[in-house]
Amino acid sequence: MPADPLHILIAALVCWLNFVTIDILFKLPEQGGVSGAEEIGRHIEKGGGALHGGYMMGNIVSSPDASAGTLLASCGVYATGIPGGLLAALLVYIGNRICHDPGYAGTTGCITATFIVYGFTLIGFSAADFIVGMVIAILTIQGISHMHASRLLSTLWRWREG
Amino acid sequence: MNGTEIALAVCGIIALYAAFRVMLEKDTMKKLPFLNVISFAISGSIVLLVPHPLAIVAAAAYFVGSTLESNAIASTFAGGPRNE
Repeated sequence: MPADPLHILIAALVCWLNFVTIDILFKLPEQGGVSGAEEIGRHIEKGGGALHGGYMMGNIVSSPDASAGTLLASCGVYATGIPGGLLAALLVYIGNRICHDPGYAGTTGCITATFIVYGFTLIGFSAADFIVGMVIAILTIQGISHMHASRLLSTLWRWREG
Repeated sequence: MNGTEIALAVCGIIALYAAFRVMLEKDTMKKLPFLNVISFAISGSIVLLVPHPLAIVAAAAYFVGSTLESNAIASTFAGGPRNE
């Protein structure tokens, strides 16, 4: 499969939409799942960001959520196809329990991502595009500007709350 | 460079970038999201380097382990466990 930067960009966009949609549906921005996630949210708010977006970023740091699910599902599909993605979902489920996370955002995100990534491999994409796409997607949320990312997530959260 | 090598190179560059951001950030709690980006990049690289079913287990173990460490650091700074 020849490398195609366009494929990587499309994969990054798909990964971003998958994990942000599922995390917001599972109410990650509502509150910090553990005290550490809340503290991260408060520090991001102190730095000029928005509190609920900060909570979601804290939750992403503190437990494997849909973003981790998407990454590990891509890894699973890359190594062994759909069974690999489902194995990754089981590992994310165990990871959630280890991190005292009672939610199912990670497991759900992993299962949806498995089928999305597999579907894209049928139309000429490589699962490797999705691995690097998810790394780029998480970079846009956690690694560039906490202030702007948290504000964006808070805006999406307000839509979700209606 | 083939597709996998480009993917690996991008993961490596992002991990290095995030490492610099961790070093430059003063606030410990705000270092953790950058550390999270490193975990993503390394987990992805593990599977890109070793495309084997057990590599998924290795990547997941590394990722969950680093997440748990971040969780522990953040919760300690927050004054210890609340309901966990």
